[in-house]
Amino acid sequence: MWWIKGATLVDPASGVKAQRDVLVQGENILAVSEHFSEQEVGALANGEKLETVNGEGKYLFPGLIDVHTHLREPGQEDKEDIASGAAAAVHGGFTTILAMANTTPPLDNRALVEFVLSQEQRAGLARVYPFGTVTKGMKGEELVEMLDLAEGGAIGFSDDGRNIQNSERFRLALEYAKLTGLPIVSHSEDVNLAQGGIMHQGEHAARLGLKGIPASAEAVMVARDLLLAAETGGNLHLAHISSKESVALIRAAKARGVKVSAEVNPHHLIFCDEDLTLTSTSLKVNPPLRSAADREALLEGLNDGTIDLIATDHAPHTWEEKARPLAEAPFGITGLETALAAVWQHLVVPGRLSIERLVQAWSTAPAQRFNLLGGSVKPGMPADLVLFDPNWRERIESETLYSKAQNTPFLGQELQGFPIWVWVGGNAVLQERRVVAR
Amino acid sequence: MWQHKDLLGLERLTSAEIEHILRTAKPMKEILMRPVKKLPTLRGKAVFNLFYEASTRTRTSFETAAKVLGADTASIAVAQSSVSKGETLLDTARTLEAMRPDLVVVRHQASGAAEFLANHLKAGVINAGDGQHEHPTQALLDLFTMWEKLGDLAGKKVVIVGDVLHSRVARSNVWGLTKLGVEVVLIGPPTLLPDEMRVLGVECRHDLDRALPGADVVMALRLQLERQQAGLFPSLREYSRAYGLTSERLKRTGKPTLVMHPGPMNRGVEISSELANSPRAVIEEQVTNGVAVRMALIYLLTGGTAHVVD
Ligand SMILES: [Zn+2]
Repeated sequence: MWWIKGATLVDPASGVKAQRDVLVQGENILAVSEHFSEQEVGALANGEKLETVNGEGKYLFPGLIDVHTHLREPGQEDKEDIASGAAAAVHGGFTTILAMANTTPPLDNRALVEFVLSQEQRAGLARVYPFGTVTKGMKGEELVEMLDLAEGGAIGFSDDGRNIQNSERFRLALEYAKLTGLPIVSHSEDVNLAQGGIMHQGEHAARLGLKGIPASAEAVMVARDLLLAAETGGNLHLAHISSKESVALIRAAKARGVKVSAEVNPHHLIFCDEDLTLTSTSLKVNPPLRSAADREALLEGLNDGTIDLIATDHAPHTWEEKARPLAEAPFGITGLETALAAVWQHLVVPGRLSIERLVQAWSTAPAQRFNLLGGSVKPGMPADLVLFDPNWRERIESETLYSKAQNTPFLGQELQGFPIWVWVGGNAVLQERRVVAR
Repeated sequence: MWQHKDLLGLERLTSAEIEHILRTAKPMKEILMRPVKKLPTLRGKAVFNLFYEASTRTRTSFETAAKVLGADTASIAVAQSSVSKGETLLDTARTLEAMRPDLVVVRHQASGAAEFLANHLKAGVINAGDGQHEHPTQALLDLFTMWEKLGDLAGKKVVIVGDVLHSRVARSNVWGLTKLGVEVVLIGPPTLLPDEMRVLGVECRHDLDRALPGADVVMALRLQLERQQAGLFPSLREYSRAYGLTSERLKRTGKPTLVMHPGPMNRGVEISSELANSPRAVIEEQVTNGVAVRMALIYLLTGGTAHVVD
């Protein structure tokens, strides 16, 4: 049994932000109280071994849930695999991660979805739920066997990494997926508008002589996706929203009553196009870092609920792939191990994002949206917990990262505010910043 | 005076540094005009040409410049060697480093490739064109040509017309010219000169004829004919009507305007044959000046001082 003492519990699901003691027994939360005495705990433990963690001066969150990660297995294990990705997840405070389907081969059949789940069991760290693709081979043509994939454990469907350009195929996907009740996650990007682009189209790209990806490349498809969701009543989630135009479209659609959810990535909230140089491949990402005005609109959208979730879009690449001229390096930023600390330092500490909103957007809301375990700290719920130390400082170095990749713009920088203990289903998988396999 | 290991672009040079290069190029041109043009100045120095895009003109210009100064040159024809085997620029840089060059001249299709190479090589790097970013030696030879013909450039007006968006020549020229106090006007259709080009800090307009009055220099950029298939302009005929330079059109400047072109020209498209052949056009002189400017740069980057040449 675990006794987590004296931390400030932040649990938007139960409306709590106050000092609480939490008791964990087996896989679940046993009890939550303002204070337990030694006798009370002793009686509840009933002879079971009791381990105590002092949470004073720290925050206790429900385990964070990241709905957008690329774990690269099967097929690109030189970048990442499920075990290294799951270790990176708990190192960064995530107890549950959703794995995108654009592996090699893509997760377009039940056997591959079940393979990911079996690798998750072997790793025994974070909970990993795979997406299936929407279309066979991610070709944007024939639908996958959605019913079979759902039975095999797919948590939703996404061709993320590519967009389904054919609007009729996307409409049919929204219709057919109703059979499963699962969401379709759209990577909204007009391929022709984005073609050959390296960074956000604007003055900074013009100065550097880099082909731009206009904000319209995203917004045009967001508008299409919203119209189709409204028309079909389908279950749509919009991945990695990056532009102010998209935020405005989503806000207007929600005001009309369209059922849709959207996510934002930490890098789009922290950086903008002006941070790119001709050699900063760790900031090359798709959708690209947009203007400072876009960044402000995203934060506003996150704060007013237009944007429901934060997700990392953890996209690991090898060092060699990123050690190239900007135009030739792949798109993607790793996020699992730095995202919480970066959002804490850049948004929470300056008072631009509340702690409650952070936990809601990164735990409560993802659990509700994707119908997952966790997302709250209540007796009887699985003990997926994060003890977060706002004063813990750490320099981000390749040697200290559990991910195989190091393509983070924070490499070599010190960040403040890290998870120090993480429990998944009652198992302490992160102890004093060290990942401990079951 | 010269403190840099590399020449990557004009954006980061000061006006004093640009003027220093131009002044160094002047005696270089005199050497080039001698009957016996061979100096022992850089004997034992190795200059490597690494060209990922075919460009006989620029490569030959660099080779000639290095040879006149007595340096050894090697051309690495990348298209036929390791690139087809998928070697990365980083691996190529490591291989080059092992051959101990003094200077590497690189042309590459990716913006930033020269800077990337400079960060990984002890040797100096000269950017001979990186993607759509910069082509500093072309701009310097353009500046040198204008300086020879017009004297002090401050207050002069230069009109650059064509595919500005995709042009590293235009970008480098804008940085260089504005540092020397020149009024620059960029001209092209909105598809080849979008609004965001205003970031370069110069006037951007779509109407050539209205920009010509008072121009001391008009520079036509080379039009890549594939841009028509990409939908950026409807036809060569219409492009040439709106933006092609002709003697008739040049009358609008009201001056004996210089006509320049970085070459190779599409005669009858961005410039009429009769204008290109006229005495106003200094296009062949640009080529000669290109060798002189590159001699100056090779000389400065391999550690030459201003006095050795005289
Ligand atoms: Zn995506």
